[in-house]
Amino acid sequence: MKVMLKLEGINKKLGDFRLKDININIPEGGYFVLLGRSGSGKSQLLELIAGLKKPDSGKIWINNEDVTNKKIQERKTGLVFQDYAIFPNMTVYGNISYSLRCSGEEKNVIRKRVEHIAGELNIAHLLDRVPINLSGGELQRVALARTLITSPGVLLLDEPLASVDASLRDDIRRLLRQLNRKGITIVHVTHDYREAVSLASCVGVIHNGSIIQSGHPDDVFSNPVSRFVARYSGIRNFYRVRFIGEDGKWKARSEAAVDFVLEDGVYPDDGLIIIRSDSIKIHLNKPEDACINCYRGVVRDIIPSDYGMEITVDAGERFFVDITRDEFRNLGINEMSEVWLSFVPAAAVALKGSG
Amino acid sequence: MIRQTPFSLLMLFLSSLVLLFILAPLTGMFLHTAGSDLLETVNDDDVRQSIWLTLWVSFAATFVFAFVCIPLAWIMARKEFPLKSMVQGLIDLPVVLPHTAAGLAVLGFISREGVLGKAADTIGLTLVNNPAGIALAMAFVSVPFLINSARDGFAAVPERLEKAALTLGASPSRVFFTISLPIAWRSIITGFIMMFARGMSEFGAVVMVAYHPMIAPVLIYERFSSFGLAYARPVSVLFVLVALMIFIFLRLISVTRKEVRYEGNAEA
Repeated sequence: MKVMLKLEGINKKLGDFRLKDININIPEGGYFVLLGRSGSGKSQLLELIAGLKKPDSGKIWINNEDVTNKKIQERKTGLVFQDYAIFPNMTVYGNISYSLRCSGEEKNVIRKRVEHIAGELNIAHLLDRVPINLSGGELQRVALARTLITSPGVLLLDEPLASVDASLRDDIRRLLRQLNRKGITIVHVTHDYREAVSLASCVGVIHNGSIIQSGHPDDVFSNPVSRFVARYSGIRNFYRVRFIGEDGKWKARSEAAVDFVLEDGVYPDDGLIIIRSDSIKIHLNKPEDACINCYRGVVRDIIPSDYGMEITVDAGERFFVDITRDEFRNLGINEMSEVWLSFVPAAAVALKGSG
Repeated sequence: MIRQTPFSLLMLFLSSLVLLFILAPLTGMFLHTAGSDLLETVNDDDVRQSIWLTLWVSFAATFVFAFVCIPLAWIMARKEFPLKSMVQGLIDLPVVLPHTAAGLAVLGFISREGVLGKAADTIGLTLVNNPAGIALAMAFVSVPFLINSARDGFAAVPERLEKAALTLGASPSRVFFTISLPIAWRSIITGFIMMFARGMSEFGAVVMVAYHPMIAPVLIYERFSSFGLAYARPVSVLFVLVALMIFIFLRLISVTRKEVRYEGNAEA
């Protein structure tokens, strides 16, 4: 498949911060989500791709063309800023038509193209309005229209859902998916892993200026290489352990002396174990005699969550367990209830990195 | 209604004092000027000519210097370079100089022995005692007002707007004229009005380079020193009235300009 965007060994010093050896390959029509905390360098990377900054070393290829030293105007990238950067001194029409006026298009051509893109993004009724009166969702669409009208080879989105009301996020997410389906290659930076899960065909996790893991979202989130990446996939159960092999069977012993039975495999002397919150089951009574990883504990906290309810259980170690609201109702537990926890050996995953 | 605390009452009292301090002398001047004296002054050719001279020379100085002050303001707002704080100090220097000293400096520069004076002399122009010399003296003491106000205006333009324009294919000059300048416009207009006002009220620097032709502040001083307070007062009142009318007019224009700005952009 044709590579649309390729970053090769990009390094850039920005004050005390440094982007280090960034390598990315995004195929044509790919949707790449770059996950990272604020200050991790993800927005800087977008500015490097757009040409607003030049890398200290490394190369940027767009559509098989080395654009590292090309002017911003010649790169065929479109950048949508987090707060949209809509020009306040122009109407919506003035904003969307800006790039066409820069390239000296004829007025009737400009009008046709603006009306077409505004129709596609459902903002045709806003063309004569001034930005100051628009909602966050409307501004987002204006910013997208203003960028898409340039027919960019790569669409760069800086936290596109961060400044939009929760009620509008689904609309924008659907819109981004539609754009991607039409074949537009998208690079989307965010701090929210749920955006990556719902949109990305490929995800990269950036931390302290380096991409520490990349790949298909399922692979990255089910096999995180470090505690940092695991945290991004919503995992909260981390345990530092010693790995103990006896008669070909492996178990891990936590610092609080809780033992986890593991699947067969090869393990180092010590490391980190993660268990997804939705892989742990809660029971009112001890499940059955053959239960392998079973622990008695006391409920310490119950918090409503996206999934349903997050139950915190103290069972020697602290476990965070996600259950649905129906399960919660059926269990009838409250804080200080005694419960049993269980999970299969495959749910306890040893991290490859040091964590 | 906000409840008045002893502290806010004290602040209100002190604020009233300073407002009274500004208002009282001006009110006194107006109250002591008879309508007949004012009418006579309006019909005085010397007065009319000097007020007109003051206005157009100050406006011309502001207009011409805007072409160099605005680029400097943009550089001060957007660029980092060695000795930038020294350049800022240099810009502010005319504000802290005694104006007669500033006038002497300008006189040295524009007299026949000075660099600019010599250059002007080669095309047959004498800057001393000439409106051009007056304009330079006015500009010397008033440029900081335009530069600093415009600089604040450019600094307040979010850089990401300029970056967004660049990514949309605009050249740096187009970004300046379509984004930075229109958004900073209000501060530039405010600076323009302040420079114009400061220029037309200048006495010390102007009197050193041109006693004649007489601008209004020099004429007021001349009337006062030759004939006394009663003769100088109607000229002052007239000048203050004209200045007030012009400032109100310019303020109204600058507000209207802001509103036009939004609509004027559906240009394509």
